[in-house]
Amino acid sequence: MLNLVVALIAGIVLGYVLRKKKRVNLTRATFGIILLLIFSLGFSLGSNNELLDSLPKVGLNATVILLFAVGFSVLFVKAAGKMVKLD
Amino acid sequence: MIKYVVAVLLVGSIAGYLNNNWARVIENTWISDYAFNGALMLLLFVMGVSFSMDREAIAEMRRIGLRILVVPLAIGLGSVLGGLVGGLILGINAVGTMAVSAGFGWYTLAGPLVGQLLGAEWGALGFVVNFLRELLTIMTVSITFKAGKYVPVAFGGATTMDTTLPVIVRYSGTEALITAFSSGFALSIMAPFAIMALASLG
Repeated sequence: MLNLVVALIAGIVLGYVLRKKKRVNLTRATFGIILLLIFSLGFSLGSNNELLDSLPKVGLNATVILLFAVGFSVLFVKAAGKMVKLD
Repeated sequence: MIKYVVAVLLVGSIAGYLNNNWARVIENTWISDYAFNGALMLLLFVMGVSFSMDREAIAEMRRIGLRILVVPLAIGLGSVLGGLVGGLILGINAVGTMAVSAGFGWYTLAGPLVGQLLGAEWGALGFVVNFLRELLTIMTVSITFKAGKYVPVAFGGATTMDTTLPVIVRYSGTEALITAFSSGFALSIMAPFAIMALASLG
């Protein structure tokens, strides 16, 4: 987790140093790396037998719990955002 | 873009499955640890660079300031309440379902930790709920970002500091970077404590 924070901060510092330079669209260039990340995410799911075994057993209950968890998260974040004027 | 993401996710899953259960071409950790973490660190670095070169994104962060912390708190409370409601509707132990949804999408934590505290069946549920949360966030981001930039962040929970971050930033723009990362970071810290606290109720 710490390595991610360090990578992000290093990027922010470099970007700050370069801020006067002409902007390049870096997000376009990173598409390939995003796909590599998604591939390795899929790979770790596919190679996780424990997860694959439990999917059909608990999938339905999990879906119900997940939909409520995500639904309330969205509602709460919208409400809290209004309260402290995030938008 | 989302169709490439879904296709690559599928290809990756099949490759992982075959490599694990059929012919071991490479060690699993080469992909799921080294390639994964390498890609992630590179992405965070690049996103950091484009963030601080983006004046609007910085102005947005200055404007919001510490109020940014209400985002993970609201998501955390919403997730646990959702777990409670889901458990009551399903008629299963709501303490367990709350502990499970307090993984906030971090399935590699929630699976083993809930399993250790409440038993293997709950561990399996913790695994699947949180894995599906990550999957759902990636699959729906092309729709959810239209409902507001905090919506995909709320979907993603703890995963918005790593796996789902690049996809969210791709849709919501660079100004979502700090919101998403800090929310995911805060929820990742909260997750183990929340799971342990909730599991101890049962």
